[in-house]
Amino acid sequence: MATTAERAAEDDATTALPYADDGKRRFRPTPGGWAGRAAFVLALALIVVWYVTANKPFRADELSAGVILAIGALSLNVLVGYTGQISLGHQAFIGIGAFSAAYVFSHNHQGFYAGLAASAVVGIVQAVLLGLIALRVRGLYFALVTLAWGFMAENAIFRITSFTGGGAGTPFPRPSAFRTDKTYLVLCGIVLAVVLLIDWRLVATKAGRALQALRESPNVASSYGVNVRGYTLFAFGVSGFYAGVAGALFAARRLTAGASDYTFIDIALPLLILTVVGGLRRRGGIVVFALLYVLGREYLPDWGQSISFLKDNAIYVVPALSGVLAILTLIFQPEGLGTITAPIGRWLKGERFELDLSGGSGAEGVDARP
Amino acid sequence: MVLGIAIAQPAVFGIVNGAAFGLVAIGLVMIYKSSRVFNFAAGEFATLGAFGTYIGIKVLGLPYILAAILGVAAGTAAGLLTERLVVRPLADRPKVTVLVATAAIATIAIPLELMIGGVKTFPARPAFENGVSIFGVKIISKLGPSIFGVRVSPQLLLIMVSLIAIGVLLVWFFGRTDLGLATLATSQEPTAGRLVGIRLNRISMLTWGAAGFLGGLGGVLLAPVTASFTAGYGTTGVLISAFTAAVVGGMTSIPGAFLGGILVGLVQTYAQFDLTKVTGASSVALFVMLVAVLLIRPTGILGTEA
Repeated sequence: MATTAERAAEDDATTALPYADDGKRRFRPTPGGWAGRAAFVLALALIVVWYVTANKPFRADELSAGVILAIGALSLNVLVGYTGQISLGHQAFIGIGAFSAAYVFSHNHQGFYAGLAASAVVGIVQAVLLGLIALRVRGLYFALVTLAWGFMAENAIFRITSFTGGGAGTPFPRPSAFRTDKTYLVLCGIVLAVVLLIDWRLVATKAGRALQALRESPNVASSYGVNVRGYTLFAFGVSGFYAGVAGALFAARRLTAGASDYTFIDIALPLLILTVVGGLRRRGGIVVFALLYVLGREYLPDWGQSISFLKDNAIYVVPALSGVLAILTLIFQPEGLGTITAPIGRWLKGERFELDLSGGSGAEGVDARP
Repeated sequence: MVLGIAIAQPAVFGIVNGAAFGLVAIGLVMIYKSSRVFNFAAGEFATLGAFGTYIGIKVLGLPYILAAILGVAAGTAAGLLTERLVVRPLADRPKVTVLVATAAIATIAIPLELMIGGVKTFPARPAFENGVSIFGVKIISKLGPSIFGVRVSPQLLLIMVSLIAIGVLLVWFFGRTDLGLATLATSQEPTAGRLVGIRLNRISMLTWGAAGFLGGLGGVLLAPVTASFTAGYGTTGVLISAFTAAVVGGMTSIPGAFLGGILVGLVQTYAQFDLTKVTGASSVALFVMLVAVLLIRPTGILGTEA
């Protein structure tokens, strides 16, 4: 008790109030503290504005790729982070969404938004179908199923000419209001914000608690009255929804949906790495790392080209480094970048800044029971 | 005769391709038996084997046999590195964590291959370009013997022979030797294994080194069947077939992996030959087969506890 009080007294910016439950004092920042937090947000905003205005060839297109990757990684996070089921076939999730959107556009002559809706619906359907298998097969074996699912999509579904347009792909334009790269980035940002909002509500409500119980042990959850089937399929549906939307955005960014874009090596592996390094169940970390990943992919090759033996192959440095980063994350810091972003988020909400570097006790990095 | 070939050709191709999957599958089964881990880096062990051989021949100008040894050594080194850098630090974590880490190994290996070799197709040379001769007497011609009117090349024969030899060797190792029994014991109860004096780290090194060796050998032998390979070839071309073979065989059984490999080879080849109207029929067949086995008979054909 005394130590708690002393610590509270030491903190000059504290007007400590006794906390009803366990004698701990609840921290409230002073007006100065709030000002500091506002300044931090303002500084971040200024950096973004500076980046947009100062960089002459402002790479908006790459940034929207990062935002889309972030949505895809959040989709994977729902499976790996919330249900504890791993997916190695996310190129199918994203690609099926992309081709559905393009199909609705080219065959039914509907616009972008109809395509987006179609990609969301088809994304949900395919994910729920896979979820039906996940009810019976868990852990390592389910990872295999998703791997085979992804390759089946790549080799069979994406090559059905009447659906995907074969090698040339199917055109899928951007909506008229968001045609340029910069405005399209705004659209991607809006969609990401919506996805983050849904994800936040998903975790903060009953469904989130049910999924958490389910992840720890389906049997225990079931005995406490959690509807295991329903919530598993629900989570898969949510994941498929994010992925489908990401697919439609991906296709419109390229202006066309082509089979060669949605491969295991280009989509499924990077998304897994993004999710792991960003930190499972750490939305902020995942989004930040997705953006860092594409910015790295964009800028590092420029520097790498000056290194003689790399030359044009410098574009592969970032994917390789991200793999190294993923292994380091798994071993040393299972919460990934979330170790940094989560405390910042809590600090902004008016709590103390506490960096937990213990390796995330209780919250295992990638966690699924076999 | 035409009908005979129509049936025999896919059968022979299927069996021989399947034998190749079986070779990689045996490596997967060995890792699963000894550490209960799914090794997603196995595909890249194979690519490194093929890639090492290619570099040995084209860049270093080595004769084939030395280049092949270089390829197998590259695979073995990758296996040992994976063990030391990934598997051992994560030994106490959930198995899915290790799976992700091995997938990360593949994520590192593929860009590295691209960095060194670029985006192109590399030719893969078969072991016997001019048939097999002993003391100047030709016993197997370049095209190989004819089985049911289908030519089976020396490379395919070599794959069959290696698969059977390695299978027998591993069955003997796990069933008859002290080291093999120690390996099985540690997979079931690591603490108890340590108590009776088994060095867990040694066992782990041994199995992952062997898995790297098998993967590398698989790549050296497999790539010539399709005449060429690309960066990431092992992961995109071999890994799923090999995993399906292992699962069909029961994931813990070495003869099972052998049978599973042949079954997968047959199913894939028949799908390719007979369902030409379905795009990517062989990957559809693979997915259906995997899901069917996991839903109906998760222990596979010959699966047991150890």
